[in-house]
Amino acid sequence: MINKENILSVEKNYNTHGNFVSYKTIYNTDKIWFVPLDEANTDYQAIQEWISEGNTVIDNPPE
Amino acid sequence: MALSRIDTTNMIEDVPQSKIDNNINFRNIIINGSMDIAQRGTSATGIGNGDSGYHTVDRFKFVESGSPSTVFTQSQSTDVPTGQGFANSLKMDVTTADASLGADDAIYINTSVEGQNLQYIKKGTSSATSLTLSFWVKSNITGTYIFEIIDRDNDRAISKSYTISSANTWEKKTITYPGDTTGALDNDNARSFELIYWLGAGANFSSGTLQTSWGSRTTANDAVGQVNLGDNTANEWYITGVQLEAGTTASDFEFLPHDVNLQRCQRYYNKYIGASGSNTGSSYNGSTGTFFVYFPTAMRATPTKSSTSGTAFYRFYRLNSNDAITSLGDNGGGKEFMSFSFPTTSAAGTGGELGVKSGGVLEADAEL
Repeated sequence: MINKENILSVEKNYNTHGNFVSYKTIYNTDKIWFVPLDEANTDYQAIQEWISEGNTVIDNPPE
Repeated sequence: MALSRIDTTNMIEDVPQSKIDNNINFRNIIINGSMDIAQRGTSATGIGNGDSGYHTVDRFKFVESGSPSTVFTQSQSTDVPTGQGFANSLKMDVTTADASLGADDAIYINTSVEGQNLQYIKKGTSSATSLTLSFWVKSNITGTYIFEIIDRDNDRAISKSYTISSANTWEKKTITYPGDTTGALDNDNARSFELIYWLGAGANFSSGTLQTSWGSRTTANDAVGQVNLGDNTANEWYITGVQLEAGTTASDFEFLPHDVNLQRCQRYYNKYIGASGSNTGSSYNGSTGTFFVYFPTAMRATPTKSSTSGTAFYRFYRLNSNDAITSLGDNGGGKEFMSFSFPTTSAAGTGGELGVKSGGVLEADAEL
């Protein structure tokens, strides 16, 4: 469970088909969380709040 | 074969009657109230400010907000009330004290309930049902403690106090909350009720008048009179047998079989540890492979996933050999399964097994 105060970075994650499927979230414990694009997921809600506070999501889509 | 007529005259009297009061299955709104399931681990040290989350016992979340310096060890304890049938309790042990909480400091344990599991209490109607909470508690700190119910759909709340009378003694507490005729709960998989065991409350949560009737939530009324458990490193607090049920009386605690209790917890969290087995995997394109893990039960929502990283934490067994894998990527999933990706040099289409080895841990979290 993610506390948005402890997020270090968020990056869009693409699956093997090149689809954006989750947010790769690096936490202050160096743990990596993959947060799905599901509005019912409370971590997804936390990331949306983190974004609304002016933070930037890294996006490196596959070529 | 001819059917015989069955004489049912004395059948009812012959069937042993349950000795359990109000023995309705799944009457307990709380999941894992017996504290028996602890998938994340049985002890977590050094949890304090910024560590809000689930650490040991499933479905019971530690929350510390504001900026208190209090630090706890949380554990699943085998210290239980004698002769009541419990095997485990949740223990909070203070390891760093903060005797002077700031105004916006809050420390509590909560558990949350989906709205779709609460429709039968008819909240927000003239037929709203009372709720009765019962639990066993023990602490070396006697005095007033608060249990609060917050309706997150309508921002309403009710708080009631209980008193720990005797230090270091298990005591059973029962509290009844009236039905709330205002504010229907959403019929969905989101959090509708947040149930809070307060352990410490700064002035912003305790400077008003305890709100013992349902009403719009005023934070100053949340935890009036709450003792500060964290004011000394000698302090500890145990709880087990938590049951919240419809009605005005507390029935005996509803013990569930371990498998049923575990599966109910797995709706919110699943953990797969090293050497726990292998999963079918294959090379997708000669450089990346994928594998799937199916959950034992559908999760509440598509879960957040995590995996540990380290040398040979995972192995891809194929073609009579195997590849050591250090880290995994996310390949999507849903409520029923999760998919990971991994690096491989095997030709596209090569099938095999993806083993989670020593050090490897996969987690799926759909908590409220």
